[in-house]
Amino acid sequence: MKLFILKRFIMIGITLLGLSVIVFVVSRVAPGDPAKLAAGPDATEEMVQVVRKEFNLDKPLPIQYVSYIRGLLRADFGKSIRTRHQVWEDIKTFLPATFELVFVSISFAILLGVLFGVLSAVYRDTWIDHSTRFFSVAGVAVPMFWLGIMLQILFAAKFHLLPIGGRLDTMVMPPTPITRFFLIDSLLTGNWVVFENAFAHILLPAFVLSFPALASITRINRAEMLEILRKDFVLNEKAQGVSDRLIIWKYSLKNAFIPTLTMIGLRYGWMLGGTILVETVFDWPGIGQYAVAAAVYSDFQPVMGVTIILGLNFMVANLLVDLGYGFLDPRVRYE
Amino acid sequence: MFFGAVIIVTFVFSPLVYSYEVRDGKKIMVYGERQAAPNIDPSQFYDWSTRMMQQALYDALLKYVGNPPKVVPWLAKSYKKSADGKKWTFELVRNAKFHNGDPVTAQAVKWSFERTLTLKKGPAWMLMDFLDKDGIRVIDDYTLEFNLKSPYAAFEAAIPWWYIMNPKVVMANEKAGDMGQEWMKDHSAGSGPFKQKRWEHGVLYELEAVDNYWKGWENPKHLGGFIFKIIRESGSLKMGLEKGELDGVAGLNSTDFDAVEKNPNIYVTNDPGWTTFGLKMNTQKGYTKDINIRKAICYAFDYSSTVKVYNGNAVLMDSPFPKGMKGHLSVPNVYRQDLKKAKEYLAKSSQPNGGFELEYVYVSGLEEERLIGLVLLDNLAQLNIKLKIVPLVWPNMVARGSKVETSPDFMAVFTTPIMDDPDVVAIQYHKDSWGKYYGSHFYQNEKVWDMIEKARFSADWDTRKKLYEQIQTLIMEDAPEICGMLYNRRWAFRKQIKGYSFSPVRLTSEIDIYPLYIED
Repeated sequence: MKLFILKRFIMIGITLLGLSVIVFVVSRVAPGDPAKLAAGPDATEEMVQVVRKEFNLDKPLPIQYVSYIRGLLRADFGKSIRTRHQVWEDIKTFLPATFELVFVSISFAILLGVLFGVLSAVYRDTWIDHSTRFFSVAGVAVPMFWLGIMLQILFAAKFHLLPIGGRLDTMVMPPTPITRFFLIDSLLTGNWVVFENAFAHILLPAFVLSFPALASITRINRAEMLEILRKDFVLNEKAQGVSDRLIIWKYSLKNAFIPTLTMIGLRYGWMLGGTILVETVFDWPGIGQYAVAAAVYSDFQPVMGVTIILGLNFMVANLLVDLGYGFLDPRVRYE
Repeated sequence: MFFGAVIIVTFVFSPLVYSYEVRDGKKIMVYGERQAAPNIDPSQFYDWSTRMMQQALYDALLKYVGNPPKVVPWLAKSYKKSADGKKWTFELVRNAKFHNGDPVTAQAVKWSFERTLTLKKGPAWMLMDFLDKDGIRVIDDYTLEFNLKSPYAAFEAAIPWWYIMNPKVVMANEKAGDMGQEWMKDHSAGSGPFKQKRWEHGVLYELEAVDNYWKGWENPKHLGGFIFKIIRESGSLKMGLEKGELDGVAGLNSTDFDAVEKNPNIYVTNDPGWTTFGLKMNTQKGYTKDINIRKAICYAFDYSSTVKVYNGNAVLMDSPFPKGMKGHLSVPNVYRQDLKKAKEYLAKSSQPNGGFELEYVYVSGLEEERLIGLVLLDNLAQLNIKLKIVPLVWPNMVARGSKVETSPDFMAVFTTPIMDDPDVVAIQYHKDSWGKYYGSHFYQNEKVWDMIEKARFSADWDTRKKLYEQIQTLIMEDAPEICGMLYNRRWAFRKQIKGYSFSPVRLTSEIDIYPLYIED
């Protein structure tokens, strides 16, 4: 197992290097002159040259790349050409907001998706099954931005039940940063006002972001549960008088969970990408909004930094999913 | 089930709604906008959102106020220029203080100008061709003079955008000879009516009023604070304003502005702006190189549609210069839709029967520009000319317009003059602007260029005025672009917000916070 993890980490390193080459080349061959854009629309050629020199854009591409990789090894992702902010500092500011949103969303999706999947399979062809299937189809079909706007209009604008967007109300100060997850930090510091406020703010975006994942998990879990419930060992357990609750929630669900786990891993990655839309609709100050704002101005350093960080995250998530198989199914061997 | 749970939970956790915020008895306005202000260093960067913050945190020697904009003394008590227009002498007010209590002196002014000229960033382009660091001379603590390399007519108009910084504070935060650049991007060292309170990147910026602001306050009910919230969607801004989470917004689309105007708790301002909308035609390549084709296009275009796109909240341009700007001339016989004339000019061109295709490039996501493209497509079809409409993101569009070979036949461009001086518009038609987004027409007329240069360096307004009138007429005759419209600049405020004053020289959605106050 240790060897397997070591191999995977080596693979992650190689993949990251490949990713860095791709994002570097793509950012440099994209049309547009970042130095010119950063210097401003009225800048003189002399001013453009100042920017070019400051960001090493006057050097050959291989030298720029080597210097970038050297920086990465020191966790230095460079500086935004437009704002002059250190990219790593920006990532530290915006990434926790995205992670918090994604973690709450994926938790929603897993809890409700597994529950709905099991209920749908157990109560096959009843109204529970039909409504769950309808819900699953809708989850895959409804565009997230549309759902977000509709829920905003209903819960925020019409009934004033929830805030329109953001992580906190304007006059509520963020909690003392420990994990930078507002929900956790407010609990750790015993700040209930902030916790309530943060909770009210995360409800809608988290639900919207979780909706497609919830639908997929429900569908796959339902299908697997139906398969498992037909197996001989289930019949055997029933014959031996094991309670339905144990058969369903312990023995069957554990067996049905392996494909669901794969789906969770995939959906987690998709969620990190999907946050861009949700963050825009709900003004969630996360990494997606940050990346979009940078991309619009050909601000390549933040775009490269975000791509590498999200890529790394996706790879680690897949590794964890692979390790999870072993816990669910002892027959799985790591080589 | 989920929705049921949400409703129950939110009844418990639902936050209260205020029409404005109050802290320690001070009324705080919350303003929603779509663009962040990530670097507030006056020497490094400006755009409309940044300058809104800079204007609140800093003062300049002069300031733009009102409509039409007037330049009024601010940190300067008085100023004068020499007969040849090369020497400008400023006498400063004696009571101006930086936020830390240091006096604003001539030395600080000199240092601030030198810093911007040294760094060669942000607003440096406005003066770096006319002013050297050596040209700034301190006469005494409250008097200094600027000795220009040559007369520059727009000098006075540029001064309001050169903010004065406290050298002591900035240099105390210098790192590796960066003149405080790293620190100044999110800190301030000014003397303006507000100081920084809370700075949450990508979320909000909170300003706190300086109670004993050296200039005093116009109204005793002035804002106690101002919160600039970044909200990227027009729909969310609208909801926030209606719900009372926001007290003022900019950047709504036309439909949302019209919708909130019906709300009795909200009012919408509507002032003709100076942001010109033009369809720049490549005058050196392809079919639009032919002046007769360009004129045919100018006569084929339905100008009134550009106003309709803004639900009537726009006025047609009658010159390349915006209406209301100093030196503007309503050019006689301006182009308006006239298909007969359009066909006459096409008949005189190299392609008398049409039968060719042109490319229209606009900023991806700008719905107004897309609609105007569709109108043009329809208009050109009547001349048997096809139109290919291409949306591009802004960097790619700027890249396309930077070379004659790649510049499209039409490029839809909004341009806001940064100063109240015709030079800033005229220069767009000078060869120095080739390669810039507003010079994507690559307009070539040496007579016009000469006149632009003469007007730029003349100290006599009457001479300049005549030159600018000729420049406008000649540009219209050469038809390097379809001069479209000037859309109205609009903001929406809740009724309690008073004191708003429009000035067309301020960029896109920029407002001056200083005169605002809250009255229930």
